[in-house]
Amino acid sequence: MKRIHPGWLLALLLTLCFTLATVFVPRAQWWNAVPRAADWNKARSQSDNVFKLLFGEGRRLFANEMFVMADVYFHSGYYPSMFDRQDTDRDVADPAHGKAEDTDSTSDDFLGPPPDWLAALDRQFVPNRHTHLSSGGPSGHMNESEVQEILPWLQLATDMNPQMIESYTVGDYWLRRLHKPEQAREFLFEGLRNNPGNSELLFDLGTLYDKDLHDSNRARNTWLAALRCWQAQNDNVKTSMESKRLYGAITIALAHQAQEADDWPQAIKYLEMVKTVSPYPDAIQKQIDEAEKKVAGAK
Amino acid sequence: MNTIWALAGIVIKELYRRKDFYVLFVLTAVLTVATGSVRFFQDPNIVRYIKDLCMFLIWISALLIAITMTARQIPAERENRTIFPLLAKPVTRGQVILGKFLGCWLASGIALAVFYLFFAIITGSREHYWPVLDYLQAFLLQWIMLGIVTAMTLLGSILFAAPSSTVTILFIVAGGILFLGRHLNTVALHNPEPVRSIIYTIYFIIPHLELFDVRERVVNDWGLVSWPACGLATLYAAAYTGLFLLLTWLGFRRKSLT
Amino acid sequence: MDAILRTEKLCVEYRARGLKLEIKPALKGLTLSVHAGEIFGFLGPNGAGKTTTINVLLGFIPPTSGAAYLFGIDVRQPIARQHIGYLPEMTYYYKFLTAEELLRFYARIFGLPSREADQRIDRLLKLVELETARKRLIKTYSKGMQQRVGIAQALINDPDLLILDEPTSGLDPLGRMKVREIIQRLKQEGKTVFFSSHELGEVETICDRVAIINQGELKVLGPVDELVAQHGVNLEKVFLDIIGYQPQTAL
Repeated sequence: MKRIHPGWLLALLLTLCFTLATVFVPRAQWWNAVPRAADWNKARSQSDNVFKLLFGEGRRLFANEMFVMADVYFHSGYYPSMFDRQDTDRDVADPAHGKAEDTDSTSDDFLGPPPDWLAALDRQFVPNRHTHLSSGGPSGHMNESEVQEILPWLQLATDMNPQMIESYTVGDYWLRRLHKPEQAREFLFEGLRNNPGNSELLFDLGTLYDKDLHDSNRARNTWLAALRCWQAQNDNVKTSMESKRLYGAITIALAHQAQEADDWPQAIKYLEMVKTVSPYPDAIQKQIDEAEKKVAGAK
Repeated sequence: MNTIWALAGIVIKELYRRKDFYVLFVLTAVLTVATGSVRFFQDPNIVRYIKDLCMFLIWISALLIAITMTARQIPAERENRTIFPLLAKPVTRGQVILGKFLGCWLASGIALAVFYLFFAIITGSREHYWPVLDYLQAFLLQWIMLGIVTAMTLLGSILFAAPSSTVTILFIVAGGILFLGRHLNTVALHNPEPVRSIIYTIYFIIPHLELFDVRERVVNDWGLVSWPACGLATLYAAAYTGLFLLLTWLGFRRKSLT
Repeated sequence: MDAILRTEKLCVEYRARGLKLEIKPALKGLTLSVHAGEIFGFLGPNGAGKTTTINVLLGFIPPTSGAAYLFGIDVRQPIARQHIGYLPEMTYYYKFLTAEELLRFYARIFGLPSREADQRIDRLLKLVELETARKRLIKTYSKGMQQRVGIAQALINDPDLLILDEPTSGLDPLGRMKVREIIQRLKQEGKTVFFSSHELGEVETICDRVAIINQGELKVLGPVDELVAQHGVNLEKVFLDIIGYQPQTAL
């Protein structure tokens, strides 16, 4: 019998192990049902998945790269390299760019005119225009459902680094846009299992219940949980702009829901909270005044 | 010409009688199928990451096949002394070089075609859509690029002592060009003189293999590259291939056969 | 009679590696000629310059000075090798090919038409008794089988001149006998054979003329029987006398 080189056997064995791990780890996580409330109070869970075993703390770097890949896919491959980023004052590869529609497509045109004939020839062979998958893609005729192509990278980013909140929120946003609320919910649940009590994830979950699953009670309860978690995490701590923005979003959502339910006293209470962080306190005050009139009228 | 084709035929026979190609193909297939079997968010229509991974593996495998096969051609002939009965025939050293180049290039092309066929089947089974012209163009461009790499490796096999050295150096060079080649002009601009001039010189001298890398376009459905641009790139590749083959011949014609 | 193979004051010098740049002469003004239809033996002790001479004749190495011709054509021209067959001392062929594929490859190099190549391959494999093994890869062959493949490939183009370097090396007595038979048959067909060998008994039996070289110089050249008559009992004695061998006295 012909002797097979041990190196080839080892390579095949490693490939098989990696494949099995990739297949079974997500399934093992799937077996966990909706997390119980008690789970949210546990200490932040650490990932014991295969990526931590393989890469150690370097997985965070890989997770960042996976997230960038999602953005690359969103832009159909038209993306600045690290050398291109040196040429601009701002980070042209803002990873959260995909969450909002960019109306000014030239603002992210990092390529500029080709400096030489080689670069001009090279442009013919690479993606050379700023496009979004959600608005037609390179051909201009693509379906918005093409955005699903970014999802594997978001999933991989969270597998590599379960504490990467942005992956969960961006994934949730696009799953909702793709009319997949159940998958969005499961993804947020996964995020909450790995990051118990994260107010941003709870807020997104509440928005999902409100807008996509049309369950206003669950939405309100989830937003209230988000608010409690936010207050617990930001008590006696100097809050960042981003954190204040989140607080404002949670409280305005609760206020709007209260308004829709004609619960004006609650609406006023939440609007007062919004006013403390809003950049437009006068506009909020107007809403408070109108709500107070409604309370007075009801009496 | 008959002699050159005869030599090329021998190289192709060697490819399919050695195990390298089959092992690489099986590895690529296993990794692609394994990746494809994963369902992200229970959506069977997500396919671009599979295309991306599969094309990446194809590029690695094709380079591996081309470089390792070519790196051992001349050294193996000399080491095994099969060069003697060969050159005892009415065969010139130039014909040996051309025959080896043609054989390695065609053999790489055959391997590449098999990989691309597999790629088309796998992605087509998910997408239910076959952009045949896009795949054909990507295959042709990559094959042309492998011509430059084959010629470079043949030159390396004449210059360097052992096939392992040739393989290592050529992998580093090819990998470096593919990852950094198109950014060297940007890097040059961020450096003062005389470093800027040196980097610019390197930028213009090296064969830009990344020109032929249209994976981003194929994966993201950008459509065909314009055929005039492909024609220019082909001429560019032909020039570099010819240059490397000429240098190889100049090095080989005076080289001892033992 | 026109010489099929001719050397004129052939000199080959090797530059030794190292700092001293020492020059080692391998051939010193070798002049000989081989006529059509004869079997010519080329003898000498190890390191005498036999393989160097053959390497020059086949164009593997250029001469430092002097010239060599095959069929009147300078050996540096590839066309000079169109009508020769060469059997190297060490039989290395492409191990991933079968005997049939190897012969077909060489036939293609010589530009033989396909049908003629098929006929020749069949005849040659029968001649060297490799018919049953024609589809097996050469890497599965024994040393003797590889030597026979070598003979077959040397004859694929029906050469007018055969250059054989130690043709019976590594063969058993039966194999050696078969090689001698092939060489004698070639002579009957009017071919010329130029071969080097250490088997002086064989050389004495089949060669018409011999040349003996030592340390790069031609020491003697002539018909075998004349040399034997002139120098000694047999060719071995001639050889030892020419190279200056002195037997050691008993202790």
